[in-house]
Amino acid sequence: MFDLEPDDELALVLETARRLARDELVPPMRTHEAERSISKALSASWDEVGLSTLDVPIELDGAGMGCLARVHLNEALAEGDVGAAIALDPYGPALVALLETGGTDAARTLVEATDGGTRRALYVDARDAVVREDGNRLTLDVAWVAAEDAAALVLVDDAGARLVAEGLSFDPVRGAGLRAAGGARLRLEGAPIAHRFENPDGAARARARARLHTASLLLGILSATCSFSADYAQERQAFGRPIAHHQALAFLITDMRIALDAARLVVHEAAWRVDQGLPCETEAASAWAECIEIARTLGPNGVQILGGHGFMADYPVEKHMREARALSLLHGGFDAAIEDAGRALVATASPLALGQEGAL
Amino acid sequence: MIDYRVSPETQARLAEAAEIGRKELRPAGLEADGRGAPIPPDDAFFERCLARGEGGTVWAGPDGKRATGPRRSVVERLLLSEELAYWDRGVIIAMPGPGLPENNVLSMGTDEQKERFLGPFLARDRPRWACFGMTEPGAGSDAAAIRTTARKDGDGWILNGAKCFIGGASRSDWILVQATLDPTKGRGAQRAFFVEAGTPGLGGFKIEKKMGLKAYESTSFTLDDCRVPAENLLGGEARYESSAGFKTAMRTFNAGRPQIAANAVGMARAALDESIRFARENDLLGRDRVRDRIEAISRKVRKARLVCLKAGWLADEERPNIIEASMSKALAAQMAQEATTLGLELVGLVGARGDHLIEKLYRDVKAMDIVEGTGQVQRMIIARTLVGLPR
Ligand SMILES: Cc1cc2nc3c(=O)[nH]c(=O)nc-3n(C[C@H](O)[C@H](O)[C@H](O)COP(=O)(O)OP(=O)(O)OC[C@H]3O[C@@H](n4cnc5c(N)ncnc54)[C@H](O)[C@@H]3O)c2cc1C
Repeated sequence: MFDLEPDDELALVLETARRLARDELVPPMRTHEAERSISKALSASWDEVGLSTLDVPIELDGAGMGCLARVHLNEALAEGDVGAAIALDPYGPALVALLETGGTDAARTLVEATDGGTRRALYVDARDAVVREDGNRLTLDVAWVAAEDAAALVLVDDAGARLVAEGLSFDPVRGAGLRAAGGARLRLEGAPIAHRFENPDGAARARARARLHTASLLLGILSATCSFSADYAQERQAFGRPIAHHQALAFLITDMRIALDAARLVVHEAAWRVDQGLPCETEAASAWAECIEIARTLGPNGVQILGGHGFMADYPVEKHMREARALSLLHGGFDAAIEDAGRALVATASPLALGQEGAL
Repeated sequence: MIDYRVSPETQARLAEAAEIGRKELRPAGLEADGRGAPIPPDDAFFERCLARGEGGTVWAGPDGKRATGPRRSVVERLLLSEELAYWDRGVIIAMPGPGLPENNVLSMGTDEQKERFLGPFLARDRPRWACFGMTEPGAGSDAAAIRTTARKDGDGWILNGAKCFIGGASRSDWILVQATLDPTKGRGAQRAFFVEAGTPGLGGFKIEKKMGLKAYESTSFTLDDCRVPAENLLGGEARYESSAGFKTAMRTFNAGRPQIAANAVGMARAALDESIRFARENDLLGRDRVRDRIEAISRKVRKARLVCLKAGWLADEERPNIIEASMSKALAAQMAQEATTLGLELVGLVGARGDHLIEKLYRDVKAMDIVEGTGQVQRMIIARTLVGLPR
């Protein structure tokens, strides 16, 4: 039956994640941003917690908790610091992309290429890159990735996924945000393709999962900006009362919260569908579009609520605003999302009718 | 007679501004953004500003005879502001000159104060700045709630307090500081004081790290038993028998609102042009979604510009423009944020690299909805007139 309560195992994971985010990601976030990487101590302590392998299958020594658990976790970590959350995650959506296109054996190739997840793997949607394939050689140019180094790349297009484990070249760029994870233009110049997994259906599911992965990171930032600005507004006084008690701001804060809660449900439901093996491509594309759309205003509104203070680096909201925008550009951005979501909808007579096994 | 045309003279001035913008403002703005720090006061950029005749004052001199250049209509000034902000809004604010408080001094200052505080700007011997210090850590929108105090001490005044986000404060020859004689008495008790650089007690300058507009400094400072002579009270004591002190401060903002709106329009227009350029270079102009975005941006910019010019035209006609002034700022600032947002979506991941003009505009333009009265404050002003919103 319809039930939104996480089970005990997930609840415990999330409690840990929120605590770590609050205690270990938030305090050093400006240092991590300035240094363009997270501290060694943080990565070392993180490895012991084992959060990064939450959705990695049990056969590959992960917790096998699935996509919904993963999006919950991503949101909790990104609410602390999204750049660090990315830096601490060896696989991002790359591992599940191989899982969807080539199964466990395919995913294992990535675990090996990253020395068991001790180095990072990058996921790139072909729509974000200029790609040329020549036999078994790949030439590629991505304007920006949130990384300055990685052991492997998983490239997903309509046909399937390719794994490249050598010849990745990074030219560091400043980055509009997510600097704790680094920032670079990524290029391959005729790099050998280590593995190729042709599987259009799997590729579509891989893309859906990747969108949900990033959508949940985005939700984390937006959640942080909503709660930070709402708390601030209850402290800050102007015209004789907390600014939150002026109706203009009260309603703004309210609308932001409504937008966030609604988008979160949409993302979670799509992730649940992934775990159930239900069709999820349209729902994930639509969830991603929804997150991008709300981020357009929530980011700047977070700054607005703090007034001039919001414009200064003393507060996190300007960082939220930049990072939400940068993340929103991934996976082909808004256009590719509504294109994918819309295509399936017009092919259906009654797209929102109750479906398989009572699924919404 | 109704006419939406711009005069040939104005067109010529806009072309001139565009030339300076292209050669000087845009590169200086991008450089400061990359460096993440304001243009240093001794940068050759400012010498070149002086050489071009910028950085002076419109004050007509002690005998009122100094030629101050052509008198510009508000509409023309708005168009020029738009054009300059198109190239770089942060750099225009960084430019030398008496800046924001010049109007206050012209309208309220004694002859002696005009000579003392604006006179040096006539010399153009070196770049000089002045600034207006109203905002405090604890009070921005609610300017009547400032806590910086002024206490009479013999024939002078002792100032105590803290200001923040003041544009150019650490490099200014003087700061016009807004202070209160009695924090419990609201607006009527406020006064403005010239605090000259180097006055003991003026210090603690801290240049803020901000999200955008990095070309100019936004600076916090403190006033710690800072003594200024009686002659530094703007307008002299007699002027303050009524509540005029606060009103003058607010008048600066009144004149400034359409100006900020024009800046936002210029920045949005820059985002539009960059979007089109990017789309053309990448063969995207044939795509409906790309064209839809370009259409949306340009429609928004067009309407905001017209609302802004209407506010200016009303001012030229000396007709009330309180609603239009606020409307222009409320509309243009949000519109420009949206325009840069859509522009970033158009350039895609290139925009996330952190070195693209649209990404800079996206950060810079946020301040337009904050400075000189936030979007919410503009709506309050409009609603007071429109539906009698109580104060
Ligand atoms: C780049 C930059 C440059 C600046 N330069 C200068 C300068 O040179 N000199 C100077 O004096 N100041 C300057 N400022 C300060 C600026 O004027 C203030 O930031 C602005 O007035 C807002 O005040 P605040 O930051 O204290 O925000 P607050 O007043 O604390 O406002 C916080 C939020 O509450 C909202 N709010 C407040 N009251 C109400 C209400 N009644 N109803 C609904 N919402 C409300 C605001 O709209 C805002 O969203 C600058 C600021 C910036 C960002």
